[in-house]
Amino acid sequence: MTERLIVIGGGGAGISAATTAKRVNPDLKVSLYTEFEDIAYSPCGIPFVYGGEIPRFEDLFLSTVERYVSDGLDMRMETVVTDLDLDRGTITARNQHEGFDKLIVATGFVWEKPDVPGANLEGLHYVKNIRKAMEFDKVLETVKTVAVVGATPLGVEMAGNLGQRGLGVHFIDEGPWVLHEVLDPDVAEPVHESLTKRGVTLHLGTAVEAFLGDDHVRAVATSQGEIACDVVIVCLHKVPNTALAEAAGLAAGTTGGLIVDDHMRTTADGVWAAGDVIEVPHGLTMIPIRGLTGSHAYSQGRTAGANAAGDDRTYDPVWVPWGLVAGDYTIGGFSLGETLAGAMGVPYVLAKGVGVSRARYFPGATRTHVKLLAEPGTLKLIGGQVHGGEGVKERCDFLAFAAKRGATLEDFAWMENIYSPPIGALFEPIAIAAQNGLAELRKQAEATAPSPSAVPA
Amino acid sequence: MSRLGGAQQRLREQAEHHLRVAAMEDLRRAHPQATTAPHKPPGGYFWRLVFVPLYRRMPWEAKVKAMHALRMTAESNGWTAPARTPGEPWHPPRSYTKEDS
Repeated sequence: MTERLIVIGGGGAGISAATTAKRVNPDLKVSLYTEFEDIAYSPCGIPFVYGGEIPRFEDLFLSTVERYVSDGLDMRMETVVTDLDLDRGTITARNQHEGFDKLIVATGFVWEKPDVPGANLEGLHYVKNIRKAMEFDKVLETVKTVAVVGATPLGVEMAGNLGQRGLGVHFIDEGPWVLHEVLDPDVAEPVHESLTKRGVTLHLGTAVEAFLGDDHVRAVATSQGEIACDVVIVCLHKVPNTALAEAAGLAAGTTGGLIVDDHMRTTADGVWAAGDVIEVPHGLTMIPIRGLTGSHAYSQGRTAGANAAGDDRTYDPVWVPWGLVAGDYTIGGFSLGETLAGAMGVPYVLAKGVGVSRARYFPGATRTHVKLLAEPGTLKLIGGQVHGGEGVKERCDFLAFAAKRGATLEDFAWMENIYSPPIGALFEPIAIAAQNGLAELRKQAEATAPSPSAVPA
Repeated sequence: MSRLGGAQQRLREQAEHHLRVAAMEDLRRAHPQATTAPHKPPGGYFWRLVFVPLYRRMPWEAKVKAMHALRMTAESNGWTAPARTPGEPWHPPRSYTKEDS
């Protein structure tokens, strides 16, 4: 008899889980349930359509429902799963019970809502669903001033792109600099400059106390006074959408995400989970974290789908390479920066350097700043941040992978690199940073002890 | 989420928030022009005056041991910490699938 796998959720994790399961075991009947009308589009691209860099929302679609159907998936669009019974092995949708042999929960996230008066006023927008984004784009044609609440990665992208669009943007956050939960202040400085150049007014260290208006928002009351606006875009944290799963008895961890093991198995037999609804451990500390990127969701979905289909795949603890374009400036990092390391109390030594992205004389060359954090003693890499122009993403991906494999400052100081004037400079910025860090350590060792042998030569 | 689970989550959020604010205060001293004071809501005295100073006095190794003893890390949920030792031989996966080919 054909086994049936039900996947709940049509985001990156859900769709990758369903397609991978079908590929691994073509005999499996795979049904995917999503509450939305659309599937396989890039919500991360929405800010760039608002900013005009991407001309049309339609460009964000990557595939079609019909394609997945032709690949053998049973697609249940606009179908909300309202109940989950793990003992009976059934879900309830549209008042119908449907049985499953295996289940993957990929219900994603919901946006954190501000816990202040006026949060239900009209004119507060959350960026997620592409159809709502299309409608909001028409609203943006009619307004002059936007308040963006929350200096998260999405908030930074929204503020920069709306500034680019020519709107007056008030960017409000409680923290002392943008992206303060991941970014260090030295890296935030050029981001502030770039956003300001795009017409964004920063209101940092500023708490939102209420949204004001009769039916529609007209201003944001903050700890620093009232800020008039026509609409508000809320960009706070992602909250795992666990209501259905937890009601069915699946356990959540200290982040609020569902607990899974390294095979994406939940605490119930025959049930896997993936994406923004779960928590996974950080590779350095093994402490569970959540709210990662679309590529993490997609990769977790592949692992869950393959295992639900009978394969045996493991998912590694994460080193979280990340990056984004903030205004006109590119920033990125992986694992920990100084802020997070300081908060957690993780000891580190610093290695900093500045290089160029291609030969200095070549058109388009940009300065590339690299900051590495390494474990004292072993000098194994534990985190870092990179900023500048081109090549930030590739360096952060590489550094995260190298850290996962235990590479040291010594390894990076003498690493090989490509030298080709249009694409790479003679001296790799990562190597420059590592050499500077080793030189500084050597200097410190010589200053405190007669023998510098404790530090690698 | 169970009442206990909810309480654990709130404790973690509070601890992380106050540790992060303290770390940001330290770091922003070197960048006074690029930063501003973080918003501090009233209250939180226990976290600011007791928890943060105590946590900071504890060596990292002791923190790691405590986190493991309190089952705060993912090893208790079926995860294995990476070895982080370069040079290990490559191991072929147990099975190749159509997707991999």
